[in-house]
Amino acid sequence: MSEGDERGSTGTNSIETAPSRIDADPGQRVLRALTEAFPETVSDGAQVKPRFIRARVDRSDLYSVCRSLKDHHGFEHLTMISAVEYDDGFEVVYHITSHQAGLLLELITSAPKTDPTVDSISSIWGGANWQERESYDLMGVVFRNHPKLERILLPKDVLYHPLRKDFRG
Amino acid sequence: MNLFEFCYGIIHWLVDLVNNLWYRLGDVLPWYFGDFFTGVGDFAASDSHLSFMTILLESIIIILVALINVLNFLWIFRKISGRILDFYGPYYVGYRIGGWLQNLADGIKLFLKEIIVPTKADKLGFFLAPIIFVGSSLLILSVIPLSENFGLSTNSSGEYVPAGALFALAAFSIAPFAILLAGWSSNNKYTLIGGMRSAAQMMSYEIPLILCAASVFLLAGSFNFVDIVDAQRDIWFFVPMFIGFVVFLVCLIAEVEIVPFDLPEAEAELVEGWTTEYGGMRFGLFYMTTAIRSYAGGALATALFLGGWQGPSLIPDEIWFLIKAYIVYTVFMWLTWSVPRIRIDQMLGLGWRRLLPLAVLNLLIAAVLKTGGWF
Amino acid sequence: MAEMWINMGPQHPMTHGLWNLRVKVDGETIVDAEPEVGYLHRGIEKICEGLTYPQIIPIADRLCYGSSFTWSHLYCLTAEDLMDVEVPERAEYIRVMAIEMQRIASHLMWLAAYAGDLGLSVGFTNAMRDREVFIDLLQGLAGSRLTYNYPRIGGVAHDLPPNFERDALRTVRYMEQRLKEYEDLFDNSKIFMMRNVGIGILRKEDGIDLGVTGPSLRASGASYDLRKDMPYSVYPEIDFNVATHKDGDCYARYRVRMDEMWECCSIIRQALKKMPKGKWRVVAPRNAPASTGLGRVEDPRGEAVMYVVGDGSDKPYRLKIRSPIFVTLSAAPKILVGYKLADVVVIMGGLDMCLGENDR
Repeated sequence: MSEGDERGSTGTNSIETAPSRIDADPGQRVLRALTEAFPETVSDGAQVKPRFIRARVDRSDLYSVCRSLKDHHGFEHLTMISAVEYDDGFEVVYHITSHQAGLLLELITSAPKTDPTVDSISSIWGGANWQERESYDLMGVVFRNHPKLERILLPKDVLYHPLRKDFRG
Repeated sequence: MNLFEFCYGIIHWLVDLVNNLWYRLGDVLPWYFGDFFTGVGDFAASDSHLSFMTILLESIIIILVALINVLNFLWIFRKISGRILDFYGPYYVGYRIGGWLQNLADGIKLFLKEIIVPTKADKLGFFLAPIIFVGSSLLILSVIPLSENFGLSTNSSGEYVPAGALFALAAFSIAPFAILLAGWSSNNKYTLIGGMRSAAQMMSYEIPLILCAASVFLLAGSFNFVDIVDAQRDIWFFVPMFIGFVVFLVCLIAEVEIVPFDLPEAEAELVEGWTTEYGGMRFGLFYMTTAIRSYAGGALATALFLGGWQGPSLIPDEIWFLIKAYIVYTVFMWLTWSVPRIRIDQMLGLGWRRLLPLAVLNLLIAAVLKTGGWF
Repeated sequence: MAEMWINMGPQHPMTHGLWNLRVKVDGETIVDAEPEVGYLHRGIEKICEGLTYPQIIPIADRLCYGSSFTWSHLYCLTAEDLMDVEVPERAEYIRVMAIEMQRIASHLMWLAAYAGDLGLSVGFTNAMRDREVFIDLLQGLAGSRLTYNYPRIGGVAHDLPPNFERDALRTVRYMEQRLKEYEDLFDNSKIFMMRNVGIGILRKEDGIDLGVTGPSLRASGASYDLRKDMPYSVYPEIDFNVATHKDGDCYARYRVRMDEMWECCSIIRQALKKMPKGKWRVVAPRNAPASTGLGRVEDPRGEAVMYVVGDGSDKPYRLKIRSPIFVTLSAAPKILVGYKLADVVVIMGGLDMCLGENDR
């Protein structure tokens, strides 16, 4: 997509049709647009701090949410992908930045331990490529449709994922 | 007295000394032994043997003087880099003479190191390359005279090797062969690329170099160093042929492979270039040869463009020659430490598109000067 | 010559660390490239899970030998975000000043390495010597030369040493003179320009897409700087410009870093001037709540982020580090293809590699 044209106030159609006072804040606007566009899967939208919003997304809709974030809300920069292991499953946390709006979005998705698979978003943001490989390498989260999901920091023949809690050095 | 007469004197004295023994033996021993020793004495006293030994001694003296100069050059190299790059340079080994002995110490160290040959290297080529490289470089030095009296001559008249300048330039161009051989026989990608680069570089810079030298030969009307220097009695050649002088210097820098033209051994991308696989004294030979070639380059520039050994007679001729060669080398060093390295395609472009036309222009100027009757 | 793969690394003068760049060359032209990293992987994220919060500060210092201060500062920011600690204003100013000194030192080290890559030895020694001046300054501040261990969760370890302000101003004045000299040395050199202009062009769209940050992206014309866009610490109160350049080649990257050093000098001056008196540290709680904290700073190499998950104990449950150069390196093949083998050195040097943070 080309830069700058579809960004800001001329974003999604849903914003245009439903203007309100809450939309003055860019973070609230993005959250609202997301929950309206994906009512089933996006939940727990919250403004944590000024210019820092957080939302949860079901892993089934991760790719389309990210695609709409990039195409319609001007989130052009993927900052970080972190994988966290909890007792009941993995959480993959995406920090996505919109430099134009000065906005940081923390998008959390989770996967069960039995099937730690989420969609790869490296076709949306090229910068996700190596970060997904790193998460796979160290935490064992599998990214579906990744172009080259190999170990990156550890040698290729290592059998474990060292950042998991059950790994004992 | 020139070097030939000096050496001839020494050899004659030695031969006389030893011939006493041979003839005494010839007198004392029975006839069949005695004739043999008398024959040896006659052979030793013959003209051909005397002149052969004289020339041998001459070359040894010349090479020794040259190698001492090379040590000086290495020392100057280190000291000047220290001055420019904020460090002291050699200091403790030979403390009272400014660390001059450091190079000897390094040489001894390199001699003591193990010579490692890569398993898959071409052994013969790997062995021959440093020999050809250092040998061809020493050949250049053997024909460059330091003055009218100090040079390789074949008879007492002081007649030097005919076409000595041509011989020096020809010996200068053997090096790419050795480098290519070293690069290829090491069986390593870096050395191969380095060798290829070196060959390309030397061949493309050889031509402007020789064209500039050709304009000098044209003005002087001779290939002999003495005649060339004599022709510069009124005016040193770098004044009428300034373009040629600059082109010559640039080409020399490329020929001796120092920054900005040290692409064959560009340490940032090719590790050590074509010398990567060499260690110990073989590496030391390569390292020394760079200094030998720098000295040869400085001496050639001095003889061809800077009036050779001409200068006020307060100082001996030989010292004048060396001072000029050292100054040329210092300029090289100054340039080396203050510019970045150029890229190979840019460098070849510079050689073919800038230096070659300038060299031809310089040849034209020389032709005009010659036909105009000024020289 | 047929196409062949050349391994530049793991032990190669170009790498400035321990990594391997495999380049496929056709003659001397690059047709493909593939970075291989991980030789320096120390598992810092895993180590941190076994350490208490204050114990991690020296570990965070070890992330990058070139700019250790920004990493310990980033860690403290993250932990403060997790624990909701309010940092005294004096400490914030001290941190900002020290970070900018570290940024100059880091950029000077980059400049030295870059000059060395280009074969310009005089640039190498001079830049290294001037870096030493800033290292000395930071040593006076923190007590050690490379890994400072100076910031604390809730402030800094101790106040400024006596006469520090005078020394710092003198150093900054000296640095500004030297910067002029560097610009004379580099920008006036024809060969330097030949090697840099038009080499390794990274287009703005590609840079943003591939997650490139920091000077490498700003050289492509995108004025993304966290200090301006999403200010942390006391950067909103300091007046400075974001250095950008529009060309996106190696020269632009060099230019951006030089301009940034000028800005750093100005920021240090302002921080020293505006620094209030008062406390420099508050006591942080021992245990963190079961929550998450996020810190983002503008590292000399780009956008550095830490994400920490607390579980109510005195040790972090998970600490994730985003290294700017790790993401930038993934964009390297895109920049390299099509240029000559000799340009690899210039391009990779222009990205300012730091393997400590890359491999973590």
